[in-house]
Amino acid sequence: MRLVIERGELLRALSHVTSVVERRTTIPILSNVMLSASGRSLRFKATDLEREVIEVVAADVTQPGALTVPAHMLHDIVRKLPDGAQIELVKDAEKERLTLKAGPSRFALQTLAADDFPDLAVGEMAQEFEVSASDLKRLIDKTRFAISTEETRYYLNGIYLHTAERNGQPTLRAVATDGHRLAQVELPRPEGATGMAGIIIPRKTVHELHRLIEDGAGVVKMGVSPTKVRFEIGTVTLTSKLIDGSFPDYGRVIPQANDKEMKVSNAEFIGAVDRVSTIASERGRAVKLSITADKLVLSVNNPEGGSATEEISVGYVAAPLEIGFNARYLLDIAGQLEGEEARFMLADPGSPTMVRDSSDDSALYVLMPMRV
Amino acid sequence: MREAQPLTIRQLAPETVNRIAAGEVIERPASAVKELVENALDAGAREIEIVTVSGGLSLIRVTDDGCGMEARDLALCVERHATSKLRDDDLFDIRTLGFRGEALPSIGSIATLSVASRPRAGAAPLEVVVDRGEKHPLKPAALNFGTRIEVRDLFSATPARLKFLKSERAENMAVSDVVKRLAMAHPGVGFTLTTGERTGLRLPAAPDGPEGLLARLGRIMGADFLADALPIAGEREGVALSGFAGLPTLHRPDASQQYLFVNGRPVRDKLLVGSVRAAYGDLLPKGRYPLLALFVTLPPAAVDVNVHPAKAEVRFRDAAAVRSLIIGGLSQALAAAGHRATLRGGAMTIDAFVAAATPQREASPSPNLSSAPRSSPPQAAYSSRASGFGEAMQAPFAAFDSLSAETVRAEDLPTADSIARPLGAARAQLHETYIVAQTETSVIIVDQHAAHERLVYERMKAMLANGGVARQGLLIPVVVTLEPDEAACLIERACEWAALGLILESFGSTAVCVREVPALLGHGDVEGLVRDLASGVANDGDTRALQDRLEAVCSTFACHGSVRAGRRLTGVEMNALLRDMEATPHSGQCNHGRPTYVELKLTDIERLFGRS
Repeated sequence: MRLVIERGELLRALSHVTSVVERRTTIPILSNVMLSASGRSLRFKATDLEREVIEVVAADVTQPGALTVPAHMLHDIVRKLPDGAQIELVKDAEKERLTLKAGPSRFALQTLAADDFPDLAVGEMAQEFEVSASDLKRLIDKTRFAISTEETRYYLNGIYLHTAERNGQPTLRAVATDGHRLAQVELPRPEGATGMAGIIIPRKTVHELHRLIEDGAGVVKMGVSPTKVRFEIGTVTLTSKLIDGSFPDYGRVIPQANDKEMKVSNAEFIGAVDRVSTIASERGRAVKLSITADKLVLSVNNPEGGSATEEISVGYVAAPLEIGFNARYLLDIAGQLEGEEARFMLADPGSPTMVRDSSDDSALYVLMPMRV
Repeated sequence: MREAQPLTIRQLAPETVNRIAAGEVIERPASAVKELVENALDAGAREIEIVTVSGGLSLIRVTDDGCGMEARDLALCVERHATSKLRDDDLFDIRTLGFRGEALPSIGSIATLSVASRPRAGAAPLEVVVDRGEKHPLKPAALNFGTRIEVRDLFSATPARLKFLKSERAENMAVSDVVKRLAMAHPGVGFTLTTGERTGLRLPAAPDGPEGLLARLGRIMGADFLADALPIAGEREGVALSGFAGLPTLHRPDASQQYLFVNGRPVRDKLLVGSVRAAYGDLLPKGRYPLLALFVTLPPAAVDVNVHPAKAEVRFRDAAAVRSLIIGGLSQALAAAGHRATLRGGAMTIDAFVAAATPQREASPSPNLSSAPRSSPPQAAYSSRASGFGEAMQAPFAAFDSLSAETVRAEDLPTADSIARPLGAARAQLHETYIVAQTETSVIIVDQHAAHERLVYERMKAMLANGGVARQGLLIPVVVTLEPDEAACLIERACEWAALGLILESFGSTAVCVREVPALLGHGDVEGLVRDLASGVANDGDTRALQDRLEAVCSTFACHGSVRAGRRLTGVEMNALLRDMEATPHSGQCNHGRPTYVELKLTDIERLFGRS
């Protein structure tokens, strides 16, 4: 194998693929990235056996070939080379090493055979459709904070993506929950998505995908099969296994009859919660919301640290209510709202509360109170 | 196979019946010793002598100075179900150790039994012999007041049993264990145990009262226990608890030194294990067991001792009350012990010093000696010392070095007042890790991190107990499938879990549904928690699983929130820490059960220099 590639191209491709590579693995080849050169392009592939990322970039290939080299090491080398450098990659026929030359720098990297590199065996995708990167990013942004990290209920360790309907309009809906709170966001159903079976996209895949569509530009081609999901973003293809389990019937926990509505300026609310929760030193300390007519008093009482209260004016006409929440959960949810006003739909101190964005009814959040 | 003859049902011969009973009552020589010593105790003996030869198989002799037996009683005592101990045949009012009337006939049916007795009334001593079930007539004997029972050739009539016995040594141990247990329950009675040629145990009669009991316990459980024992006392609804428990820093790898006595009867009961674990809880490292001897006294009607042929188990009418009494009594004593830690740490330190001195004096030229593991602690001490003096690679400003605050500045110097306190006045901080304090009679070395960690932890626990546990509601309840009895046990105590922040509901007969969890646990594994809790409760009433987890979280917070080793402390800070330790319960050990300080007695230090 022999080729020349510009440093920027190489770096961009490596930064896309290497983040999927685990730094510590029990199978040595999994810490490698596979490079295969053919025609006028260089193909990168990295995997952790659950998902793989493939990227193809243009390169000046003089001799085709394929090999694998330590991914993070190669990435670090290229990162430290000067901008605009032309990098020559040559594999010695005898020496099983990849030589990397850039100006005065010269590296020789240990390789492993490309034939041994695992393949995710991506089969046919039953369903294929396109969705804009910004829409997809929004789905992820607003739900991923609620993904569970607890392994016993593994089916909660991802985002549940499925088709639904809202106000008679077909939608594509993403739901995530950790058992304490739930986030649900929808977008108009893309053409071709109708009939898609619900899928649970694992947490790590969600984060990888989010990184790849960070800029929110362009269109993502999605392919879904019963066991895998594929995202094509420009020159990058991310394929992942799905979580094999059934997502709970989340519809039952979304309150339908919460009739006490509180409207509050979201920015004021976030500021106030953030300030009063400074007093709460340890994890799980509750913020108490005392709501009376058009007035919300937030208070935290920490016998060791002291206490804090803050009052904000809200829109509220129902019967007075006192309810406690985990401060971090409140901030997580309020942080997702884009509109100026947050709408809290409350029932009583022991039942789930629903939070919505007053300017956007495609997203809703449900939060379980705390009792102190 | 031969055609079976038609068999008719017939009454078994008395010898056979006795041998069957013997199989239950007399399992091994130690069981015979137990029965005979209990008889002696029931007879009001003040001095009991036990002799065994070859593990008790060839001879067991128990001699007492009790009330003795008249001729008529002597003839009857070896008959089955003959006893003087059960008044009006009332099994609900048992005030003696024995009552079944099985021991002597059982032994007599499988060995050669000789009972010689002389009652106080002044009658002539008589002897009755039973040879493997065959009773001989009474004959005169030579004896002082009391009773002497000899058992020869035990199990000679049931050779099968012989095959199942352990080594002579193991049988001797078992005999000794039985005698020890009975001796602990009766400190006022003198015991002498001779196994083979040597006297295994000589326990003089101790005076009545707690001092006598403690003296007796100390002779049996060791001098460490004597030094570290906390008196236990409590009473609730007619059930009285007394005894002694060791400090948490005194522990063993097994529960063999935990003794429970119910109405003076040594018993083994799961109840004790669970209660002790609940009371000592986070004071002990995992897999270590404290030493203790507890005496529960309750009306005979409130306990059923007729459960087990050898009476090793009992049944309480209200086990939960006894359990909470034990936990309460222990917790109270442990909290009252405050910062006290075992003195053994100090003794071990002194020993280490002595060991250090020896190789130096010998000045052995052999380099191999230094690699011997025995001398490695002193080696480490020297080398760290050496690096203190020999940091020549990077030369320090000598002038500044002498200023470095390893000694307490004059203004921090303690007043005579703090020297009089139990943990004394802080004198210096060494290696930025250890506080050296001086009391009137000793030198105290405190591990600052361990001590402060415990203080923070105790404070957090107190907050948890006072402020209640904040609960996070579950949006999606967790349903955990359990065995039906586990689920039932768990639901029965739902109130207890609620107090700790776990709200459970029954969900069919084989599952529970978790609605709310302690917020402190965050996104922990709820199912695992419930399973641990259920199996703990169902097996030995152990309810620690939930509390353990909460405390584990507290302990992590405490670890992060406390003064680390390597932090330089001022004299004021050090003294404040010492005062805090004196005021805080359980501050004698860190969260992992290690001592937080050691005390070197002045007398020990003087001994090091040969000044005693």
